[in-house]
Amino acid sequence: MGKKIIIDPVTRVEGHGKVTIHLDESGHVEDAFFHIVEFRGFERFVQGHPYWEAPQLVQRLCGICPVSHHLAAAKAIDQLVGLEPEQLSPTATKLRRLLHYGQIFQSHALHFFYLASPDLLFGFDAPPERRNVVAVAHENKELARKGILMRKFGQEIIKAIAGKKIHGIAAVPGGVHKTFTPEERDYLLKDNETPSADTMIEWSREMVRFIKLYHDQHFQWLDHFARYPSGHLALVGPEGELELYHGRLRAIDAEGRVTLNDVPNNDYLKYFTEEVEKWSYMKFPYLKHLGRKRGWNRVGPLARLNVCNGIPTPLAHQEWEEFRRYTNGLPNNCTMHSHWARLIEMLHCAEMIKTLLLDPAILGDDLVREGTLRPEGIGIIEAPRGTLIHHYKVDEKGMITKCNLIVSTTHNNEPMNRAVRWVAQNVISDKPEITEGMLNQIEVAIRAYDPCLSCATHALGQMPLQVAILDHEGKVLNERCKTNKS
Amino acid sequence: MQNLHAGLNASTTLLLGIGNSARRDDGLGWAFLEAIQKEGRFAGELAYRYQLQVEDADVIRNYEKVIFVDALRRQVEGGFYWKPCLPVATFGFTTHAIDPESVVALCQELYGEAPEAYTLGIGGCAWGLEEGLSPEGIKNLELALRFFDEKIL
Repeated sequence: MGKKIIIDPVTRVEGHGKVTIHLDESGHVEDAFFHIVEFRGFERFVQGHPYWEAPQLVQRLCGICPVSHHLAAAKAIDQLVGLEPEQLSPTATKLRRLLHYGQIFQSHALHFFYLASPDLLFGFDAPPERRNVVAVAHENKELARKGILMRKFGQEIIKAIAGKKIHGIAAVPGGVHKTFTPEERDYLLKDNETPSADTMIEWSREMVRFIKLYHDQHFQWLDHFARYPSGHLALVGPEGELELYHGRLRAIDAEGRVTLNDVPNNDYLKYFTEEVEKWSYMKFPYLKHLGRKRGWNRVGPLARLNVCNGIPTPLAHQEWEEFRRYTNGLPNNCTMHSHWARLIEMLHCAEMIKTLLLDPAILGDDLVREGTLRPEGIGIIEAPRGTLIHHYKVDEKGMITKCNLIVSTTHNNEPMNRAVRWVAQNVISDKPEITEGMLNQIEVAIRAYDPCLSCATHALGQMPLQVAILDHEGKVLNERCKTNKS
Repeated sequence: MQNLHAGLNASTTLLLGIGNSARRDDGLGWAFLEAIQKEGRFAGELAYRYQLQVEDADVIRNYEKVIFVDALRRQVEGGFYWKPCLPVATFGFTTHAIDPESVVALCQELYGEAPEAYTLGIGGCAWGLEEGLSPEGIKNLELALRFFDEKIL
C-alpha cells in the first residue's frame, strides 16, 4: 500500500504551512508538496484606504520584516506622488537605505543565530529540545551573545530612524519624516551597551570565517543537501553590482545565462505572472517568456550573490569572490550555501551602515520632495528573504483601488517545493521507518530559505505547519505535530 | 493589606507588557501598563513589546526582578493568574512566539544568572482587528489591577 507523510508543524520558520509526502504502492516517494494553508487577503484589505496609509498598513504583514514592506510600499507611494527614486533628496534616500541595511542585518542575524544555527551545531538527529536557541546558548555562549548583540545593533538603527523597533514610521510620501541626529549617529559609531559599527564589521567577518570553517568540515552535506538547478532573481545596480534598495531586475538560469536582462522596476508585469495551485494559498510567480515549468527563480541571499557581478563594499566583495570561486564562477545551486551567502550579506550591510553613518547627508534637513500625483506606483526592493514587489493603483481621490504584492517567500515557493521533494526522494523514500531526523531534514531544507509564510499569504496570526504521509489513494498514514513544549 | 511581594515595587523591577492594542484583548498587557503608569505608584520601569524576542534576554539581565504581563487566550478562575516565571527552554513554531520562560532561560544560559521573574496573565476573549478591549477583558483587567494594587504596590 502507498503511504502519505504529514509533518506538522515545521518549527523555526516565520508562520506555518503543511508538507505532504505522497508514496506509491511500493513505498517510493511519488511526489511531495509544501502547502501554505492560511489565507489572509491583505491585498484586498488595503483597498479603499488612502495611499499615504499604505506604508504603515503593510507593516502589519509581519513582525520580522515590517521595514521591508514599509520601504517597498513607500517607494511605490513615491511614484504615486510623482517622484522616481532618484528624485528624492540625498538625505531621504540615505536614511531609507540606512534603515534598510539595519533591517537586513537584524533579520539575517535572527535567522542565522537563532533559526539556522541549531541545525548546524546539533545536526539532523538531535532531539527537538536541543534544536533551539537556548541550547545554542548552552553550547556556544559566545556565538549566542554575539548573535543577540548583532540583532540588537540592527534593531537600534531601526529604532533611531523609525522611532520604534517594530512598526515605526520612517518613510512618508516623497521622503522621510525625520532626520538623524549627531547623538544617534555617534551612539552607533561607538561601543557602548550596543556594539559599534566597526565591531559589527569585525564580528560579521568572524561569522563568515565561522561558516567557511564549518563548510570545510561538513562540505559533503552542505554541498549536496537539497541541491537542484534553478533560476535566480535579484535587483542589481547600474554596474551589475549587488543592490538591495533600488536597482533593475536581473535573472539568470542554472548555468548563468541571463533570462531577464536588467529590467526597470515599472516593467515587472511585462515579464512576471503568477499561477495558483489548488493545494496552496501561496502563488507561484514565474517569468512569462519561459513558462511555469522553466520560469521560476530562487530569490534571497544565494540568488543575489549568483546574479550580481560583485559587491560594492571591499570586505564583502572579497568574500563574494571566494564564494563564486567555489563553483568556478557558475551559479551556486547548493541550497545550504544560502547560509554562507547570508553571512556575506551581513558583512556587506555592516560596511554600508558604517559608510552611511559617516555620511553628513544623513544629518540633513531636506526631507520631503513633492511631485504631481499619478494613478499608479510600483516599489521593488531586496528584502532579507529576496525580491519584494509592491504595486498600487489609486483613484482620483487617492484611495487605493488595486494592490499587488509579490513577496520574497512567494518567489521561493517553487524552490521550497523542490527542496522538500529532494528530501522526500533522497532521504525518506524506501526507508522502513520515518525518523525524527528525517522529518527535521525537511524543516532544514525549508528553513534555508528563511521563509516568512505569514508574509507570503498575507495571513494573520500564528501559522503552524503540518507534515503528512499519504498512500496512493490519499489516505493519511502518518502525521507529525510538534507542540510548543519544552 | 500586606504586600505579597513588597520588593517588587522597586526601581530595579521591569514591568514588561506584551501584546497589540490593535487586536482587541491582545492589548491587555499594554492596557495594564498604561493603567499602572497613570496610577503612578509603581517605582520600576515599563516596557512594551508586540512579541518577546531573543534580545529581551539581554534587556532583562539589567533588572533584579521582571514581571511579564500578557493576555491569555483562555479564561482562568478569578480572571487572571500570577505565577513565578521559571527558566524553561521551550521551542515554538515560530520565533514570533518566544515565551517569557524561554527569555528567562536564555538570560540564565548567556549571563549565568537571571532576574526573579513572574508572569501576570490576564484572560481575554476577543482577538479581532479592532482597537478596544472586550467587556470581559476590561473586567479581568480591573481584577488584575486590583490584585497588583493590593499585593504588589
